[in-house]
Amino acid sequence: MLSYDFDWSVLWKHPYGRWMLEGIWTTITLSSLAFLIAVTLGLMVGVFRVLPNRITRLIGGSYVELIRNTPYLVQLFFWYFGLPSLLPQASEKWIYDHVPSLPYWTGVVCLGVYTASRVGEQIRAGMISIPTDQYQAAFSTGLTTYQTYRYVIIPYAIRIIIPPFTTEFLTCFKNSALTMTIGVLETTGASYLIDSYTWHGLETTTAASVVYIVITLCVVLLMAWVERRIHIPGMIARGR
Amino acid sequence: MIQIKNVSKWYGDFQVLRDVNEEVKQGQTVVVCGPSGSGKSTLLRCINGLEPFQHGEIIVDGVSVSDPATNLYRLRTEIGMVFQRFELYPHMTALQNITLAPMKVRKKSRREAADHAMKLLERVGIPEKAHEHPANLSGGQQQRVAIARSLAMEPKIMMFDEPTSALDPEMIKEVLDVMVDLSTGGMTMIVVTHEMGFAREVAEEIIFMDEGSIIERGTDISFFQNPKSPRTKDFLDKILM
Amino acid sequence: MDLAVIPRNLHFLLGGLVLTLELAAISLLGGFLLGILMGLGRLSSRKWIYYPATLYINFFRSLPLILVIFWFYFMVPFIIGRPLGDFLSAIIAFIAFEAAYFAEIVRAGIQSIPQGQVMAGYSTGLGYYETMRNIVLPQALKNMVPPIVTQCVIIFQDTSLAYVIGLKEFLRRIYLVDSRELRSVELYLFAGFVYLVFCSIGTITSRRLEKRQIGR
Repeated sequence: MLSYDFDWSVLWKHPYGRWMLEGIWTTITLSSLAFLIAVTLGLMVGVFRVLPNRITRLIGGSYVELIRNTPYLVQLFFWYFGLPSLLPQASEKWIYDHVPSLPYWTGVVCLGVYTASRVGEQIRAGMISIPTDQYQAAFSTGLTTYQTYRYVIIPYAIRIIIPPFTTEFLTCFKNSALTMTIGVLETTGASYLIDSYTWHGLETTTAASVVYIVITLCVVLLMAWVERRIHIPGMIARGR
Repeated sequence: MIQIKNVSKWYGDFQVLRDVNEEVKQGQTVVVCGPSGSGKSTLLRCINGLEPFQHGEIIVDGVSVSDPATNLYRLRTEIGMVFQRFELYPHMTALQNITLAPMKVRKKSRREAADHAMKLLERVGIPEKAHEHPANLSGGQQQRVAIARSLAMEPKIMMFDEPTSALDPEMIKEVLDVMVDLSTGGMTMIVVTHEMGFAREVAEEIIFMDEGSIIERGTDISFFQNPKSPRTKDFLDKILM
Repeated sequence: MDLAVIPRNLHFLLGGLVLTLELAAISLLGGFLLGILMGLGRLSSRKWIYYPATLYINFFRSLPLILVIFWFYFMVPFIIGRPLGDFLSAIIAFIAFEAAYFAEIVRAGIQSIPQGQVMAGYSTGLGYYETMRNIVLPQALKNMVPPIVTQCVIIFQDTSLAYVIGLKEFLRRIYLVDSRELRSVELYLFAGFVYLVFCSIGTITSRRLEKRQIGR
């Protein structure tokens, strides 16, 4: 055993305590905003992939394949280091210097785009798991395509999709930690930063782990409650 | 052969068996009937220790099932069981299904196990299907392989859990014929079934279960002609129609 | 665009790719073996096996991988009294982390086998081990193959996170070349392309296997 003096006070001593709290808040907002983008974009991708149109299917399919088969970290570096370097040097410098919270917003957009590919797949899977008889029954009563989706398919699909969505949100939430590599001080980044000032990595990493576990637990319990609220008798959710 | 004394069982708060008493003598065939959810299948599973029960005692061939000292694996080799959905192992051929337990449990050689298995397949009338996988067999053929699989351990008792209710009508007879043959050959049997023709032909005793208890028992004809409780009469009317 | 930057540094970059593949292969093997144990533990009726396995799985599944990498980077030296080195501590982190995900694949695979199969095994007198070994696992493994291949793709991508502790795997070397040559677009596109090729092979394989199973 190395001799190691535990000093948990690094977690609340000024200014570290503040960094930690700001880190937690950043993790929450960053992953929520990213998930919002992911759902919007993912809905489009998912619908593109089930429409009876070869071109939309190709676009949706390529998007998913491209994003899913490259690591998130590579995408992040590409957006953050690659894209601005295409600009003339003066404006590149200006962007890094003057755009407020550039790493944060790059992280949000990139995480949103990345998560959208996974969410899109879940939406597609949810849609094709609906029996075709449901569509035919809806059409046979005279509903239009829009109405069929609006009143029959989507309310049903939402219930199928909630458990995988919970998983995807949590994945998004955990992936947000990677934005520390481009300098976002979210929970992991903050704990790393405090370590570099204090050499108390064990305490800070423990604190960060507790944060992730507690938030995960809260989300899981909340979603379990939501699932019970909108449960339809006799319908078995996927992934159980 | 089997004594069931005051057995009760709960799933959480829900009582599935209520104070069940029954005795099956050597060579007897007992038919159990009753509406779904009445505890028939659960009773079978308690007899060979596949499910625990909280109260009472079951003694099979002199051995108490719930005694912690009882070797359940050994006990189960004495009791064959046939399931409603056959439960053949889909990744093995009919022959492999039959020889698995004799080889692994009785440590028989492959040759010896296969010879015995072929005899059993002849007995159930499908020796030509020995090397087929279950997916290529009809339901009736699968169930006969399942019976052969149980017989391969040379059990003293055979239990059947609705063996024909997942079968198309034209296949029911081929399975029942095998069972009648077993019964008249002196096997001790407990059969959960609604095939009353079978019950009339071979059963020494018929018991009727409802809501976890045995509410009626009779020997053959009397059971059908004058059921004592209205529930039994109602049930018999429905299934005999 | 100056694509010449890639051939100029190809040797250095390929060295990183080899390290990435090594990391992925070892993590995969170790993670899978530990995952089988944890997955079986999660299905155990013995409480002293069930609870630790469940705790393990849920613990690692609720942490970001990057944090787990930091954990082993900081904690293991603390426990054994000397630094482990980048490679070893990364390997341990990956195995511990991926095992939790493999465990869930194993559990789902086993649970996809109807309970009746287990009962049929027991009713002919087979024991737990024989029933698992001859009846449940052969069927379950077949169901598990597609998700396992998908997990391989994920592990391959995950290895890029070893970047954060300075391990010179593929992405780290891309980064190093970039800081020398300032060719971000070319280099990261190239990195993306390489990952894409490897991962697509895995993804397509997984999908083929899945289709074949449904077709059967």
